[in-house]
Amino acid sequence: MDPALFRGLTQRRLPRRELLRSAGLGAGLLGFSALLGACGIAGSASREGSDVNWDSFWAQQRKTGVLNFANWPLYIDTEHGRSQSLALFTKATGIKVNYEAVIQNNEPFYATIEPQLAAGESTGYDLAVFTNGWNLTQLIDSNFLVELDHSKLPNFQRYASDLVRNPNYDPGNKHSVTWQTGFTGIAYNTKYIDREITSFDDLADPAFSGHVGMMNDNVELGCAALLHMGVNPEVSTPKDWQESTKWLKKQRRLVSGYYDQSYIQHLENGDTWITQAWSGDVFQANQSGYPHLKFVVPKEGQIVWHDNMVILRGAQNPVSALEWMNFYYTPKIAGIVENWVNYVCPVPEAQRYIMDVLKDPTVANSPLVFPSASIDAVSHGYYVYKDYDEYQQWNDTYNPIIES
Amino acid sequence: MTTIQARIAKEPGSLRRWVSRHSPPYWLSLVGVGWMVLFFLIPLISGLIVSLETGNPVKGYTLTWNWHIYSQIFVHSDIPYTTFFIRSLIYGGSATILCILIAYPMAYYIAFRVSPRWKNSLLLLVLISFFISFVIRTDMWAFVLADQGIVVTTLRHLHLVSANFHILGTAGAVIGGDVYNNLAFMVLPIYVALERIDVRILEAARDLYANSRQTFLKTVLPLSRAGIFAGVLLVFISTVGDPVNSALLGGANTYTIGQAIQDAYLNNQQFNVAAALSTMLMLMLGVIMFIYARIFGTENIENLV
Amino acid sequence: MAAAHREEGSSVRKSGEGAAAVRLEHLTKEFEGSLAVDDLSLELAAGEFFALLGPSGCGKTTTLRMLGGFEKPTSGKIYLGGEDITWTPSYKRDINTVFQSYALFPHLNVFENVAFGLRRKNVDKSEIGRLVEEHLELLGLSGFGRRPSTQLSGGQQQRVALARALVNRPRVLLLDEPMGALDAKIRKTMQVELKRIQREVGITFLYVTHDQDEAMALGDRLAVMRAGRYEDLGAPQRVYDQPATQFVAEFLGACNLLPVTLDHGELRLPDGSLVVARPGTMESTPQLVAQVGVRPEKMSIHAEGDEVVSRSNRLVATVTTITYLGASSEYEFETAWGGHLHVVAQNIDDRHIRLGDRVTVTWGETHGFWLPAPSDVAEVTSADVIMDDEAP
Repeated sequence: MDPALFRGLTQRRLPRRELLRSAGLGAGLLGFSALLGACGIAGSASREGSDVNWDSFWAQQRKTGVLNFANWPLYIDTEHGRSQSLALFTKATGIKVNYEAVIQNNEPFYATIEPQLAAGESTGYDLAVFTNGWNLTQLIDSNFLVELDHSKLPNFQRYASDLVRNPNYDPGNKHSVTWQTGFTGIAYNTKYIDREITSFDDLADPAFSGHVGMMNDNVELGCAALLHMGVNPEVSTPKDWQESTKWLKKQRRLVSGYYDQSYIQHLENGDTWITQAWSGDVFQANQSGYPHLKFVVPKEGQIVWHDNMVILRGAQNPVSALEWMNFYYTPKIAGIVENWVNYVCPVPEAQRYIMDVLKDPTVANSPLVFPSASIDAVSHGYYVYKDYDEYQQWNDTYNPIIES
Repeated sequence: MTTIQARIAKEPGSLRRWVSRHSPPYWLSLVGVGWMVLFFLIPLISGLIVSLETGNPVKGYTLTWNWHIYSQIFVHSDIPYTTFFIRSLIYGGSATILCILIAYPMAYYIAFRVSPRWKNSLLLLVLISFFISFVIRTDMWAFVLADQGIVVTTLRHLHLVSANFHILGTAGAVIGGDVYNNLAFMVLPIYVALERIDVRILEAARDLYANSRQTFLKTVLPLSRAGIFAGVLLVFISTVGDPVNSALLGGANTYTIGQAIQDAYLNNQQFNVAAALSTMLMLMLGVIMFIYARIFGTENIENLV
Repeated sequence: MAAAHREEGSSVRKSGEGAAAVRLEHLTKEFEGSLAVDDLSLELAAGEFFALLGPSGCGKTTTLRMLGGFEKPTSGKIYLGGEDITWTPSYKRDINTVFQSYALFPHLNVFENVAFGLRRKNVDKSEIGRLVEEHLELLGLSGFGRRPSTQLSGGQQQRVALARALVNRPRVLLLDEPMGALDAKIRKTMQVELKRIQREVGITFLYVTHDQDEAMALGDRLAVMRAGRYEDLGAPQRVYDQPATQFVAEFLGACNLLPVTLDHGELRLPDGSLVVARPGTMESTPQLVAQVGVRPEKMSIHAEGDEVVSRSNRLVATVTTITYLGASSEYEFETAWGGHLHVVAQNIDDRHIRLGDRVTVTWGETHGFWLPAPSDVAEVTSADVIMDDEAP
């Protein structure tokens, strides 16, 4: 069997977004029309709850024996269907973990839990993993998340990398701690491209016409254009956004497709020669039969994003969730998870654990998993929308590029 | 009801008259009407209402009878929704026609040319791809049709195509995926229609001087019309609104209305835009199907029952 | 059994002129090892109404289907007016068929059903209109042209099927149990009408049926088939009165079988009395005669004391059953040697026969017919006869 094919089916963090979509589309259209239909749709901000005293909230919580953990598929260490890290957690704390890989993508999962959150009910999950972006901003702005009690997270204080501390989307890590980090840069196939790739300009090289891949995630797409323009997306303005589309429009005729997570298959298969890419995917591809794919940090800079653990309002077991967060932020547990997941580890000291205990130098020595400290200087976050209108403005700016 | 009962009690023979006057067609049609209301009218109207609301997902949406949205979408939008509609109709229409051309010989072969004990196995074969998830088997095609995939490389080795030849990312790939994923929905109703044809009717045609071609054109084809009709409904509706094939097999210029609705709803959370687009899609399909049914006759629908 | 095969065609109209309308030569059809039609040879004269009669599975429908071109013979030949059509496809044969279930085209109206064959033959449009209307009229279907064929009664459907075939003026018309789906009353009228139409159009009819009354009423000649061959063939009256075999005798109607022995060239019943009977169609010597058949209605009953008209054959028997049927009565008798007799008598005068009476039963010398010993072919049960579908 073609290893590409196999990997295509088993690839980590390869949320088959369409899987949910196709099933959800019909039901979703019916559902939201019928349910929310007749006379208006309540907004997420309409819920009260901004005045919670979180100190007394935590004071009232008691330890329970259970944790309900919603994560993305193939996003935790797995050996014969079991996770060693979770088993160690249960052994250490007596907390039993119901781990469910139910998150195919941020938007559909948000759409799934939003009605319960808005109604003030439990979603059935204590812990969920969201990428920084509009949905996470929405969760925070709508008071759908439990504020973290950092006095119970000493390991985060001790071990977390600078990259994941105090992010712009959640100052002071009030609501979230990072599960995994990823970089968005450029990847190319050295079989087809024999020159050095250094810049976003290379995505607009006519020599690669018909073999350029871009992301259909309009945040990634816009950020690439902004970086190309020399603007840090975190501090960009709507004027910059508008300006940056010129390059995207010009570059569009070279583009073979605007892809979701399948972009990496297209790169592996030779449909695309050069593409926007996530570091973790390229690392995994290198390990599984595609050593000729290469990830580069463009000289204009790269994007850094984080998948974050958050505690959902209405959670039945917030203490368990907090305990897991703290437990995860140790070199041992983060190392065990990282050695399997291979994105960017939020605990730099896990590198030594992987090297010395797990004895896997390929992972330990990879700059894609444990980047040098200097990577901070060239990495920029996403723009954080102040409100929905800004988010919509971003959409209106970049969607016409993809949707054409 | 009481007055009716009283009247029936008074005139013994009147019950039958009353029932025969009021019952079968009218009562039975209620089921159909209920079905329509439940599964077509309610979604259509609530979709329409949502489309006329304004607001955002944070503050909520309120009904402001914003009919303007339709002109916004079709006239003043940076996003060419009209193009997506037309493109989707072309994809769906082409896929439907191709499905007929491929499915008919398959169904014919299974219905008439295969010994009965093989029929079930062959029908199962038609359905076998359904044992794998729709998305995954579509994704498989993305591998097969990739530039370095078996199809394109073979064609290149045979020098049948130029080095720049693609399949993936083209409209052809999307239509091909539509055909592949919906073929069974065409094969099965045609098979059922063919299977129901009495072989003696074909013998009668032969007996009455029709050669093979004429027998097919004058009896088999018209007698299987109901199956084709049903297949066309199933395949056309499902392909026009499908977002998956264009997303997985398409490229930069194959964006369809199904994708647009999905992105508007899930990614952009523009519930009103998504609702307006799906309302338009439903209306458009409704009108096309209505015209189609009028042209090809309601008897085809009756024959399906 | 071969001894029983004897053809007889002299009594048929027009049989003298030229080649037979249809000739089957050693026609054989095998289905997965079993013989449906076994070396069958047969001639149909032009313009005759020929009935092929037999129980279910006897091969009559297979014979018809081979003639129609719907089955290929395993061996043998089929001639139509002297021309070998064994391998001619059905659409090129100048033969039309009225199918058992009529097989009307459900998507076409009555007019188009009837016009189907003419259109295939590219007959002129106006001519088609004229011919179709003419045939609708012939079959009493005037004004039905625009009716959907699916909205007709069984009888009407049959008329359409007939019109659809006749309009093409084939040289031979095949009818496969066409009355099978009709109720008894319509059946009777259709029989009369079918006969009339056949005389009017003068086409050779091959009529397949399992109903002996129908075959005798309609056929100029009939053949009784069994196990892929016919056991007797001839004019209905001859076959009825002098059947070739016990099977034929019993298939066409009730029959008393009297065991006989040969004694110095004479036939004797078990009680020693002499029996005079016709050789029938048996071509054999009297040595092979084992039974004499007599139809129940041919026998007369004489109560004790009645004057017995001098008839050639007589025997004494005891009444065991009397069934009064209005117009007639049926009697069962037990003979001196323990055999049973079945007699049907018209209720002309008052009779004073009671159960247990000893009576004399008589019949004429021409009413008895010779039969060979009972054949060893499996008996045909009445259930087989009722089924109208044939193998395969």
